[in-house]
Amino acid sequence: MSNPAIQVTNLYKSFRLPTERASGLKQAILNWFKGIKGYTEQPVLRGISFEIQRGEFVGIVGRNGSGKSTLLKLLAGIYYPDQGTITVHGNLVPFIELGVGFNPELTGRENVYLNGALLGFSNKQMDAMYDEIVRFAELEPFMDAKLKNYSSGMQVRLAFSIAIRAKGDILILDEVLAVGDAAFQQKCNQYFASLHGKQTVILVTHSMENVRRFCGRAILIEDGKIATSGDPETVAKAYENLWKQEEN
Amino acid sequence: MKRPPHILCRKNRILLKELIKTDFKLRYQGSFLGYLWAVLRPLLMFAILYLVFAKLLRFGDDIPHYPVYLLTGTVLWNFFTECTGQGIQAIVNRGDLLRKISFPKYIVVVSATATALINLAINLCVIIIFALINGVAPSLSWLLVPLSIIELYAFALGISFLLGAINVKYRDVTSIWDVLTQALFYAVPIIYPISLVVSSGAFGTLAAKVILLNPIAQVIQDVRFNLITDTTVTTWSMIGAYGLLSILIVVIVLALAAIFFRRKSRRFAEEV
Repeated sequence: MSNPAIQVTNLYKSFRLPTERASGLKQAILNWFKGIKGYTEQPVLRGISFEIQRGEFVGIVGRNGSGKSTLLKLLAGIYYPDQGTITVHGNLVPFIELGVGFNPELTGRENVYLNGALLGFSNKQMDAMYDEIVRFAELEPFMDAKLKNYSSGMQVRLAFSIAIRAKGDILILDEVLAVGDAAFQQKCNQYFASLHGKQTVILVTHSMENVRRFCGRAILIEDGKIATSGDPETVAKAYENLWKQEEN
Repeated sequence: MKRPPHILCRKNRILLKELIKTDFKLRYQGSFLGYLWAVLRPLLMFAILYLVFAKLLRFGDDIPHYPVYLLTGTVLWNFFTECTGQGIQAIVNRGDLLRKISFPKYIVVVSATATALINLAINLCVIIIFALINGVAPSLSWLLVPLSIIELYAFALGISFLLGAINVKYRDVTSIWDVLTQALFYAVPIIYPISLVVSSGAFGTLAAKVILLNPIAQVIQDVRFNLITDTTVTTWSMIGAYGLLSILIVVIVLALAAIFFRRKSRRFAEEV
């Protein structure tokens, strides 16, 4: 019995890269007269299809520029696909980057609520999560200080705590595991391990260690297509083989 | 595809409220006088204009309550430029958000212009105090002022959507609009009374009519008429029913802008 959280079929996406410095009106008008389009199409994703079941912890791996971040942004609804469809069942909480909208002039508390609103949570929902977020970040005494007075480690801890406490049906995380000191990392790792089987998570990472440890399944993307998909061990091997091939 | 959410659904309202709150908090942070600047800026501009045009050049001698009349014009003009200035920049300024989170892009524009709207509300209170001190009698026609302000806001919003969407790709728009508003300032009867244009020569009447077709001019004159003195020359007293053209301009600009913005907003995250 399948119970999909996300269905992706035949996804295509290309970007328009400006050929010259086309960010001015003058160039745009010149290009228009010459009949130049002013950009070239750079295909990033070429026909990706997959399905993620509810409660699955899926890792997406691939080299830089393989298209995995683009895929994540498409899933999050930030980009629109050129072709293909994405069906999301449930509430999707994307963390393409930690601490989106964080403002140094606001206090820690204000930033938590702003960040929450950006992720689609009401003040009431944030009230319910707030104490837990602060406790997990271990920042209780600092919440009324301005964010600019936080150390960078504290900022990241706060952002990360919002990310993992935000109650959504589907969690999307992009390369954000390595934060904080060793003790905080361990706490995060424990938390991730506890999510297994309960929460739908899509994790983009370069760390095969994390893929093996947390993921129930992994997808390797290469040149905008799915190269390998299946159990984490196989995919991690395939990913590591990409480098070996190149070295030989 | 995700189902398209309602344009004012709960989630969007939460976000809009939070962004407005943040903008408002941050705007005057770190300045000594803080929020007072919202009132001081138009007041200082008024003081300069009053000195130069009313005292030195003796404009508006034939207009009752001319100082309040002038203040009303500068406050409304200030609102319009602040609104469009912030609105056009909104998408670019909030690029960091657009690239990382999915939400309806119009929220960013509306939240950026909201601060101008709040400032206007405060300044209107100042105008009313000045008017009462100056001996303007309160009247029921004051209740019509919000209608004019809605019209002006709609116009400013339309321009913000339209130029803001173009500004994502062509940053020249900001500079062009800067110059354009400076020119526009003199095309609107803020410092000079419209009667001066009428009596300026052979085409004076025609010029005055054209000037009053500008929605900004129409709104400013209407507010002056309803708030200060019914001797104000308005679009309606000058052109009659054809004056509806100025309202039509607002409607068309806003509608076109909404369609254009909607179409372009799909690629904002990539282009900004």
